[in-house]
Amino acid sequence: MLTKFETKSNRVKGLSFHSKRPWILASLHSGVIQLWDYRMGTLIDRFDEHDGPVRGVHFHKSQPLFVSGGDDYKIKVWNYKTCRCLFTLLGHLDYIRTVQFHHEHPWIVSASDDQTIRIWNWQSRTCISVLTGHNHYVMCASFHPKEDLVVSASLDQTVRVWDISALKKKTASPGDDMLRLSQMNTDLFGGVDAVVKYVLEGHDRGVNWAAFHPTLPLIVSGADDRQVKLWRMNDTKAWEVDTLRGHMNNVSCVMFHAKQDIIVSNSEDKSIRVWDATKRTGIQTFRREHDRFWILAAHPEMNLLAAGHDSGMIVFKLERERPAFAVSGDALFYTKDRFLRFYEFSSQKDTQVIPIRRPGSTSLNQSPRTLSYSPTENAVLICSDMDGGSYELYVIPKDSISRGDSVPDAKRGTGGSAVFVARNRFAVLDRSSNQVLVKNLKNEIVKKGSLQFPADAIFYAGTGNLLCRSEDRVYIFDLQQRLVIGDLQTPFVKYIIWSNDMESVALLSKHAIVIASKKLVHQCTLHETIRVKSGAWDENGVFIYTTLNHIKYCLPNGDSGIIRTLDVPIYITKVSENSIFCLDRDGKSRVIIIDATEYMFKLSLLKKRYDHVMSMIRNSQLCGEAMIAYLQQKGFPEVALHFVKDERTRFNLALESGNIHIAVASAKEIDEKDHWYRLGVEALRQGNAGIVEYAYQRTKNFERLSFLYLITGNMDKLAKMLKIAEVKNDVMGQFHNALYLGDVRERIKILENAGHLPLAYMTASAHGLEDIVVRLASELGENLPSLPDNKKPSLLIPPSPVMCGGDWPLLRVMRGIFEGGLDAAGKGVEEEEEEAADGDWGEELDMVDVNGVENGDVPAILEDGEIGEEENGEGGWDLEDLELPPELETPRASTNARSAVFVAPTPGMPVSQIWIQKSSIAGEHAAAGNFDSAMRQLKRQLGIQNFVPLKSLFLDLHAGSHSYLRAFCSAPVLSLALERGWSESNSPNVRGPPALVCNFSQLEEKLKAGYRATTAGKFTEALRLFTSILHAIPLIVVEFRREVDEVKELIIIVKEYVLGLQMELKRREMKENPVRQQELAAYFTHLNLQVAHQRLALQNAMTVCFKAKNLATAGNFARRLLESNPANENQAKTARQVLQASERNNTDVSELNYDYRNPFVVCGATYVPIYQGQKYATCPYCSSRFVPTEEGRLCAVCDLAVVGADASGLLCSPSQVR
Amino acid sequence: MATAASAGPDHLFNLRNYFYLGAYQAAINCSDSLPSLSPEESVEKDCLVFRSYIALGSYALVINEIDDAAATPLQAVKMLALYLSSPGNKETVISSLKEWLADPAIGNNPILKLIAGTIFMHEKDYIEALKHTNAGGTMELHALNIQIFLQMNRSDYAEKQLRIMQQADEDHTLTQLANAWLDLAVGGSKIQEAYLIFQDFSEKYQTTGLILNGKAVCCMHMGNFDEAETLLLEALNKASCFSKLVIPSLVDLLP
Repeated sequence: MLTKFETKSNRVKGLSFHSKRPWILASLHSGVIQLWDYRMGTLIDRFDEHDGPVRGVHFHKSQPLFVSGGDDYKIKVWNYKTCRCLFTLLGHLDYIRTVQFHHEHPWIVSASDDQTIRIWNWQSRTCISVLTGHNHYVMCASFHPKEDLVVSASLDQTVRVWDISALKKKTASPGDDMLRLSQMNTDLFGGVDAVVKYVLEGHDRGVNWAAFHPTLPLIVSGADDRQVKLWRMNDTKAWEVDTLRGHMNNVSCVMFHAKQDIIVSNSEDKSIRVWDATKRTGIQTFRREHDRFWILAAHPEMNLLAAGHDSGMIVFKLERERPAFAVSGDALFYTKDRFLRFYEFSSQKDTQVIPIRRPGSTSLNQSPRTLSYSPTENAVLICSDMDGGSYELYVIPKDSISRGDSVPDAKRGTGGSAVFVARNRFAVLDRSSNQVLVKNLKNEIVKKGSLQFPADAIFYAGTGNLLCRSEDRVYIFDLQQRLVIGDLQTPFVKYIIWSNDMESVALLSKHAIVIASKKLVHQCTLHETIRVKSGAWDENGVFIYTTLNHIKYCLPNGDSGIIRTLDVPIYITKVSENSIFCLDRDGKSRVIIIDATEYMFKLSLLKKRYDHVMSMIRNSQLCGEAMIAYLQQKGFPEVALHFVKDERTRFNLALESGNIHIAVASAKEIDEKDHWYRLGVEALRQGNAGIVEYAYQRTKNFERLSFLYLITGNMDKLAKMLKIAEVKNDVMGQFHNALYLGDVRERIKILENAGHLPLAYMTASAHGLEDIVVRLASELGENLPSLPDNKKPSLLIPPSPVMCGGDWPLLRVMRGIFEGGLDAAGKGVEEEEEEAADGDWGEELDMVDVNGVENGDVPAILEDGEIGEEENGEGGWDLEDLELPPELETPRASTNARSAVFVAPTPGMPVSQIWIQKSSIAGEHAAAGNFDSAMRQLKRQLGIQNFVPLKSLFLDLHAGSHSYLRAFCSAPVLSLALERGWSESNSPNVRGPPALVCNFSQLEEKLKAGYRATTAGKFTEALRLFTSILHAIPLIVVEFRREVDEVKELIIIVKEYVLGLQMELKRREMKENPVRQQELAAYFTHLNLQVAHQRLALQNAMTVCFKAKNLATAGNFARRLLESNPANENQAKTARQVLQASERNNTDVSELNYDYRNPFVVCGATYVPIYQGQKYATCPYCSSRFVPTEEGRLCAVCDLAVVGADASGLLCSPSQVR
Repeated sequence: MATAASAGPDHLFNLRNYFYLGAYQAAINCSDSLPSLSPEESVEKDCLVFRSYIALGSYALVINEIDDAAATPLQAVKMLALYLSSPGNKETVISSLKEWLADPAIGNNPILKLIAGTIFMHEKDYIEALKHTNAGGTMELHALNIQIFLQMNRSDYAEKQLRIMQQADEDHTLTQLANAWLDLAVGGSKIQEAYLIFQDFSEKYQTTGLILNGKAVCCMHMGNFDEAETLLLEALNKASCFSKLVIPSLVDLLP
């Protein structure tokens, strides 16, 4: 039983829940009716008009009414809003036991000791029916929740079911009531409105209570014979089904539970009993020490019960409704009924994962309480209160959804709570010994750690750490160090929620939230008046939580506020931006969209992200007094300024934030003396003389104005002030101004005019104005004042101010508070310099304007990075250790006396050795470090004898096939063999082939790069690329047969290019030999190139020949060029021009060794044509052809193999061997 | 060495952990703020600190700081520093090492045995190394044994050693590390387990070059070279002294 609320009072005889609000009515034996808010735990009202005990009380479902009936024979109907008794229904002649509103008709049913049941119409305030038949006190009567039935229980040992359908028909026409009442009185003992349908006899003593099942045709009753009886009825009859025995005294009240298949009864034996309605066995008993129970009530909608006893009442729940859940990344695991379910936040998909064990015993609250999940092992720990605390460990099978209903094998154990503390470790709290047991997934104890403090629950606190709850403290305990890392005094913590980065933790207790750092340094505490239910951290470090009826937020500084209200409690599982994912009490996942603006705004303020603040101000409807007050209170009046339209508020905020310009604008709008004055004060404080002056002018405060001019050294204005004072006839002002100005004559004049002649005289004489002295002396006559001696008079001239006229310079701290980030103007985008293709092709032909070469066919893929070959290490061949298997030594250790027992094992076979044994591919041998055999292979297969170009690749292959692991400190690095083709299903200790640094796709990339370089006319670069391809191929390894053919094709393609580019580069060196130049250019056109390159070669040859006046040959090239349909218009144009020229003069100036009609190949070394039928020698690797004299020499094209050598052919794939 | 049985707080835990995981500077720093230690603990602490200095390459500091009066383990550590500091010292160090090992009074000191094992490993004389370390006794010796066996390509023996370590303390950092080494050496599906172990470390403690290197090696073995490169570059940034171990050119070699 989960007690939610308890009161102490006189004996409680009647109870009623409000259907919507968290209220309960309790009627007391003392005659008082109390109205409680059970959520807040406060007494809202008391109604004290009954005389003597009030036994029955009931809320109306929808109206603000309730009804009560007492021992004063009165039924009273109350309005709880006005706290008044509306009227009293009189008619019963004895104590009233129960009263109840009908769910839809304006009826009240009442049961009384006068042996009758009455039905009243509370609108007409009359009794509409009297149900007679019981021949003892009627202890209770209630309407059926749906049908036209009433059930009653009486001390005459019967339960009666009454049919009131006739009454319903009669009341169809209102106003009949009065008429019928008289009629009813006539047939008091034979009323037809309500007839007894069934009389249920079976109890041996008086029946105290009877109640309908909410949906089924069942009745339950409790009696003084200490039995609870279950009855069933159909249309024609009703019969006893079973008897529930167990109460030790009179059963006072009994009812069906609305949501579960259980019966709840209470009794004068001071117990509440819960029964299984199907099995008809007792499930649980709750006892009180001294109090007999009298009444039960169920909440009409929620899962709440209440019971009244001798000294008060309790509001309680039988079972927890919180589903056990665990969140891991995008996944939510939770339990519902007897299944573990999985919910994916991103797709909002909900699937059933595995069935879990149903609680073995039938007792309550045995369902899963907490859940812990290990994502890597896909294992779930489910804890429940079963057997005084136990856990079950399930490993979810890979094919996660199991259709079967069979519960997978679970590892079980007992313990207070169990949580995963690492991927494959979980901790179990053993409360009896106050130890934490760390177990592995086999449920074996790996480690034990005793706690230095009494703990009653443990939670996860990062890998290897536990957060332990003691009574009023929580501790973070490091399981490995067995140390308390941090502790914190908190109220009793119920749940903890870690922030996403594991830096902060929210500790939820019943009525408080404590936010602490990961070392349990307190950050803030929030107190709630109602229960805190759940929470989650959002991405920005805001803690979003729910209470029973609100979703609220808590900022890192402890500021909190309401996001929205809730109808029913929910359990937040995850917060993502403005979506709140939650589980409700039915175990359904829901998404609630919230308006996050307010807390995001506050968070931005807090984090001083003023750019965000500003954009939020602009783009959203954030306003209201509360926000302004918040901003002011938090010291952001300047931000609040942006919200306010009201000028007075604006003015105040502007002054507060020192924003003088807005203050001026507002002051102008308001234009009141007081505001101007305050503006002046603030402006003066800031040293803004202009505004001070303006403010003083507006308020006509001349004295201050004069003084301002004085201190700012504005003598002109001061003189003007003097005039103004004169005009205003303000003598004192005049004098002040004159004094400020240091104008002695003016002062004397003023004094004179004011009639202060002696003063004027003294002034004049002090400043030595003799003419005036004389004049005044004559006027004064004998009243001449005597001047003090020994005083040297001097003219008082005000010191000149440091700053003249202007504003006082200020350090601009306020500026930029919102500017930052707003003007994030795009910085000038750096223009990437496009690499212009340098037109090396045919540049010297002056009859055409060739601006570089356009290429229509070869796509220039700019973003493709080139894979540069790394020239590694200069060390000679012999520096590299050949990791040959060490010679097997007979272990010496066996003869050693010191470790006689231990025989050191012989070294095993290194992986590289295995590679060599398994493979006959040169590349793999090189990777294994066995360069010798690799070279032998290459020689045999491809006739390669020059290995210099392959050296760096050999080294790369070897280095790239090993990884190096720093294992034990200061010990040598451990080298590990890298294998290719890894997958997680590979079994250990079975060796795959070595990983290789070069692969076929790299070569293809290089080929593309070579094409591009060729197109761009960068021949040296292109040659380098093609040659490197040619050099890499001998060591390449591919998987499939098909790829072998591709590799072989690649050799041919690349060989042609290498030869062509070599010739072209050769041609350029021979400027002095135009004939040879022409020949080479001509041969170039006969190589097997890409169409675009072929065209370029043709154009090139055409140009060369044209310039050498070999017009016939040039014409031939032009024709061939045109036949290839060049996309480039320039090319075509030039070709046509050359063709025309050659047609006019179809002769050659010089003779070339070139016969285009006769097919030929070009010798790779001498660059002469080898026509069909002529003898030639071939390179065994690249298949270039040579004139026979080259046989036995190194191939000039690939620079690897010896021309004419014997070779078995390229072996580059294990598929060739199989 | 901590075992599962003892229950008191372990003051050297952090120091040891930092050391094993390659956070040598952190190990040195944290040694200052330790509570009062027993004499044995104190010697162990000094050993760990000096070995951290050795790992950081500050051989001279270690050689100068440890005088002749220091305890045997410290002398052994000094020997390692001498050995590693210059190739010229090797002969003398090895001969005096052998002398010490033959001395029954000190020959059984675990640190001395450990250093001997390390030095003979550098000499590639695994049999001699095993002669001193095979008996085990401390987690470190077991871990060293595992590495020697792996060096000899005898993962079957390494596995037996690991089993011993797991029985002693399965969650010990060295046990976990050694487990990862073995997993990497046998390959196949075990690579993933090794990765998880390093992953656990990086979640639980500050990431070090050693952990990053371990993760990177796992990634390479799983064919995930892009991630490996990221990790190795991160490791390079982390500890300059570590760069020697990572084989920088490897990063460029990756396809």
